[in-house]
Amino acid sequence: MIEYVDMLLPYITTILLISSIYAIFSLGLNLEWGFTGLINFGHVAFLAIGAYTTVMFNMSGFSLFVSVIAGIVLSGFFGLLLGIPTLRLREDYLAIVTIGFSEVLRFILLNEQWLTRGPFGIHGFDRPLQDVIPYQYYNTFLLILYLMILVIVYFALERLIRSPWGRVLKSIREDEEVSSALGKNVFWYRLQSLMIGSAIAGLAGAMLAFYISYIDPNTFKPIETFHAWIIIILGGTASNKGTIVGALVFCTFLSVTQFTSRFLPFTAHQMGAFRMIVIGLLLIILMMHKPEGIFGKKEELALSD
Amino acid sequence: MKMDILSVKDLEKHFGGVKAVDGCSISIEAGTVMGLIGPNGAGKTTMFNLISGFERGIGEIVFKGIRTDNLSPFKIARCGMVRTFQIPRALTKMTVSENLMLAPKTQLGERIWDVWLRPKRVREQEMQIREKSRDILEFFEISHLEDEYAGALSGGQKKLLEMARAMMIDPSMMLLDEPFAGVNPTLARKISRYICELHEDGMTFLVIEHDIPAITKISDRIVVMNEGKVMAEGEPAEIKRRRDVLEVYIGGEG
Ligand SMILES: Nc1ncnc2c1ncn2[C@@H]1O[C@H](COP(=O)(O)OP(=O)(O)O)[C@@H](O)[C@H]1O
Ligand SMILES: [Mg+2]
Repeated sequence: MIEYVDMLLPYITTILLISSIYAIFSLGLNLEWGFTGLINFGHVAFLAIGAYTTVMFNMSGFSLFVSVIAGIVLSGFFGLLLGIPTLRLREDYLAIVTIGFSEVLRFILLNEQWLTRGPFGIHGFDRPLQDVIPYQYYNTFLLILYLMILVIVYFALERLIRSPWGRVLKSIREDEEVSSALGKNVFWYRLQSLMIGSAIAGLAGAMLAFYISYIDPNTFKPIETFHAWIIIILGGTASNKGTIVGALVFCTFLSVTQFTSRFLPFTAHQMGAFRMIVIGLLLIILMMHKPEGIFGKKEELALSD
Repeated sequence: MKMDILSVKDLEKHFGGVKAVDGCSISIEAGTVMGLIGPNGAGKTTMFNLISGFERGIGEIVFKGIRTDNLSPFKIARCGMVRTFQIPRALTKMTVSENLMLAPKTQLGERIWDVWLRPKRVREQEMQIREKSRDILEFFEISHLEDEYAGALSGGQKKLLEMARAMMIDPSMMLLDEPFAGVNPTLARKISRYICELHEDGMTFLVIEHDIPAITKISDRIVVMNEGKVMAEGEPAEIKRRRDVLEVYIGGEG
């Protein structure tokens, strides 16, 4: 019995750690898509910018705190850069530009070895309080830290979306012409949403880097963007609570299927595909019975009419 | 003393070969109700879109002394001009109350830093805005709908909601696109009463309408458009007597 507990605790800690990172990453996308209606298919790029900036700042001598802030700010700044030319246009422009950007960025990370060490990736950077916390407790410490960050991000976002600012976002999501007829600067609000969403993804990037203590360009494949989409659709579009629960459900599912793969006659590659099929089926079933997701509000379903 | 709140000079808008608005000039005196009539396709809605900045055309638009023909819609709205849409555009996924509370200008809580750093001031302002929205809902006699999602409202109720929402920004001028269309007679009477009461309080209106008897009752002056041009302008009694206006209508309806 004791033995099982010994095995189970680190396992649960791992799932919760990954969930909290995915939750924050997805909360950023939920602000953009769920509350503003922006279609960002390259959200992973901002995760990468956050992770690489944090790590590279730290490697060149800055404190971790400064490095993380730099990662957050730079991710937000790239959100601004991508938003300026696209957010005045039809919504699909942002989708196209972001998906392109995330792939171009990955190739830059792969090929500009002088800057990023390319495919070899980066390790050997600091982790928060690594000299203070005993090694065997480090993940537990990280989990507590990450849950605290998650709580802060959650409440900061909740306050925002319940404010007049959030009300403007929701109006833009539904009918931007009405918002502008009422004097709201639609372009500026979209830009703010994209910047904050990207900055939050940047924070998640730093958290990811600290947790895995090694990053390389293939950590940031396009599939990560779609994981975030799955999480918010699962949890309920435009619900921050739903996004967190969605992340937990999704990450638990991933790791449980990884665990059970030993008992299935699949190769690792086949298992990956099999998991995606199962997720797809589960999503279809969920959409048939509860199209607004676990926590979404039917009246606010962003996908209707 | 007469003062024009809005003056439009030689306005033109073409869609491919269609001259939707073809050299129109109109002036509206502050505090009056101007009716804009004309058969389907005359260019009335396009005129509204030009004046409110939703379409760009050629010509000059001056509102309260400001050239607005190059301004974006949100800036024009901030100058105090608010419009409704021919097909009502309630924000269906928000409640009636949220629809109204969205509208006021210069809300502290529309700035991120103030939301986080001055929550108390934001809350106070929200309470004032809520009070105001309740007063306006009461004026339009839809207080009982306050907490309904706007998507659940009937077509007529959505029209009222749109007018109520427009009132929330304290406009100096309202553009109403067919406020009586598709509305039952009782509600239509109510809407014209609301317009008259707001008019008495000094509001300026430009109202597009199809129904001549309804519009002549509430208007101080009437402009008639046909095929993108202004074909007549004058007091309602004058317009009613014009044979050519009637003919255009009969031709347009038939
Ligand atoms: N976006 C558009 N594209 C092409 N043609 C348009 C557009 N909007 C209006 N029109 C045309 O312009 C003319 C005037 O339309 P509109 O202003 O809607 O008339 P009204 O409101 O008086 O019925 C019509 O012939 C219409 O087909
Ligand atoms: Mg029309």
